[in-house]
Amino acid sequence: APTPIRTTPCILADTREISSGPEVISYLRTALGVKVEVCSLAGCDYIVSNRLAVERKSQSEFANAANRNKLVDRIQHLQHLFDRVCVVIEKDRVKPGETSRIFQRTRYYDSTLSALISAGVQVLFSSSQAETASLLKELALLEQRKNTAIDVPTEVKGHKQEAMQFYLSIPNVSYITALNLCHRFDSVAQMANSSVQVISDRAHMSAQKAEELYRYVHYMFEEEMVPPENPTKRSRVS
Amino acid sequence: MAAIESTPVRAGATSVPCGHAIGSEKWRGTELAKLLQGKVKVVFEDGLGLVDFHLSNRTCILYISESDLVSGNAFRRRLVRFRKACNLNGIVIAERTRLSDQYYPPVQNFVVLELGMALLPVTNQKEAAQLIFHLVQERSREGNCNLFIRKKSFQLPDASVLQTVQKIPGVGRVKALQLLQHFPSIQKLSNASVAQLESVLGRAIALNIHSFFHTT
Repeated sequence: APTPIRTTPCILADTREISSGPEVISYLRTALGVKVEVCSLAGCDYIVSNRLAVERKSQSEFANAANRNKLVDRIQHLQHLFDRVCVVIEKDRVKPGETSRIFQRTRYYDSTLSALISAGVQVLFSSSQAETASLLKELALLEQRKNTAIDVPTEVKGHKQEAMQFYLSIPNVSYITALNLCHRFDSVAQMANSSVQVISDRAHMSAQKAEELYRYVHYMFEEEMVPPENPTKRSRVS
Repeated sequence: MAAIESTPVRAGATSVPCGHAIGSEKWRGTELAKLLQGKVKVVFEDGLGLVDFHLSNRTCILYISESDLVSGNAFRRRLVRFRKACNLNGIVIAERTRLSDQYYPPVQNFVVLELGMALLPVTNQKEAAQLIFHLVQERSREGNCNLFIRKKSFQLPDASVLQTVQKIPGVGRVKALQLLQHFPSIQKLSNASVAQLESVLGRAIALNIHSFFHTT
């Protein structure tokens, strides 16, 4: 068998990471030679493979119990979209002139870690943006070895953008899955008429995720099941 | 059938009662054991092999001290043996101190990325006791109390389907509803001919929709 061509790994980064983690992205690109595509991932910091999302959290943000609901929502959302979810807890940056604060470990911190581990979420610790970048690269390489690397063009041109928006509106379809669907099927109609097996193979989705998509595409719509468009407005009119 | 020293994991370790932990004899009388007292019911036993603590739900803890980290590869062999010997969920707790800090990143790559186990840092046995307490609590929770485990939503997808159809260029809510009345699924809609679409909406939009499904 021919040996697979070793390509440099590709990682998708959310646009907000440009401001919150500029060094992560530049380090990935310049020092580590990783292809980073910045796109609007809507609710996800990094996508490292066809199935793995990485959430980057500063230690102080992670340890703050006031952010609990936000974290729970975010992780639950990611668990719906991806087969694997990883959280990187990154030490806060010490500004010049500041001494690094001693991190106070709380009950909230320990119970959150325990719950994440028990939910099957991978947890990694990083002491800097540069270290986060190397962790992301390691994860991408590992996923490459497991044949789940991102190997689809990351840009979407012309009318394909319309198909991309269409796919992204489907529940539990992640950005990378939408990209795969866009590029691996000639048309939306072709995708809609494919079997679970074909969807799973072409779009690199787990059988379970492919079946969810198949069911969605075949779901018989009933208007009565849709809540009224804007109930408050409507009641005011009547 | 006493467990032999060389046994990597205690037999019957899969059935630890909730709120309990089985600790290796070597931990008896340590600071960690004292700190766990009153929080977790720990039973100390001989012959746990590679494992330091067994928790319920097939979870066990392997402890790597600061000196283990600094002194090198013995703990790696131990973890590999554990990984090969059983399919229990291994959580590795490692003492990440000022002294062992520099060893942590490669160990993290090894434990989490290569072995696929969880690795949690603590700075001392006091923090470890607190963490083990929370891990025991977490494992004792019955059923689906874990916040991070995704719940199956029982919402019907009708509203979503309507949203998705509105992503077709030129199709708003009113047109989407009209389309779905005649072609009630996305798959059926995708197979509608221009003529069929035209009987519901105008010619121009029918061509648009048809071209959306077949050329993008």
